[in-house]
Amino acid sequence: MSVEHIDAILNDCLLAAGQGIGTEKSVDFAVVVWWRTRYRQFFLHAITAKGNAYEADRRRVTAVGRYLGQRALHHASGSASIDMRAAELASRDVETGCHMNAEREGLSSPALTATA
Amino acid sequence: MNTDTTRQNVPAGTIAHGYDQSIAGAPDETLAHQRAVDAILDDCFLSIGQGIGLRATLDFDAVVWVRTNFRAKFLAAMGHFGNRWVEDRATVTAVALMLGERAVRHANGAASINLDAAMQASADVERYCQLHSARRSAARTRTSSESATAMIAGYWCTWDPKH
Repeated sequence: MSVEHIDAILNDCLLAAGQGIGTEKSVDFAVVVWWRTRYRQFFLHAITAKGNAYEADRRRVTAVGRYLGQRALHHASGSASIDMRAAELASRDVETGCHMNAEREGLSSPALTATA
Repeated sequence: MNTDTTRQNVPAGTIAHGYDQSIAGAPDETLAHQRAVDAILDDCFLSIGQGIGLRATLDFDAVVWVRTNFRAKFLAAMGHFGNRWVEDRATVTAVALMLGERAVRHANGAASINLDAAMQASADVERYCQLHSARRSAARTRTSSESATAMIAGYWCTWDPKH
């Protein structure tokens, strides 16, 4: 698993988030940076520590990425752009769902199950 | 070279590679540029996704190809012009959004955008940028915002790293 591969996965997921957002609002660059930092750690953990295969999980992970974008758009209603507040709320929504899925599927360490 | 102008109170340690003051000011500018370009690519991919919307998905090999293609160009441009992302972001992400639009068009209604469609969309965008780049000299003599756009669109995506 190369660094380059992790970064390509991040590109894939942020593309999915953009799909969920659509063209209605722009996204603050701080949000992109924050999501990158946050999910890079999650993905590294999921892939290197837990041995998850992105190819196998991609459809599910990108669906979550699109949902992240949709939630961010929802939380940014009334704002000119998607800011950090909206992004943090969206991430909380998504990660809560991932936790629930992970627990339901009996995964031992649901905290970083970005692929769940 | 701190490009984070939109949020001043992000806690230390939460800024992505290449975007905190300590890294940006590091003596190894090449490494700083590489890290900066990775975050910029994420920004561009988000815009590509906005352009695609929920009309189609993008095959992973196409994602990898777009990343490889533009990473080299961005790195070369940044090495030559420095990190101008704060100034150029709005223009470059608008072009990325256009790439997404073109990819959907080249996919001809398919549920998934394949590598070929992505390559055609990239070629469209690069042609567009080259046209602007070709007008760069003339644009420099003007003072309008259009001239600035022409310069920006040109150098980010047409810089050939091999030259």
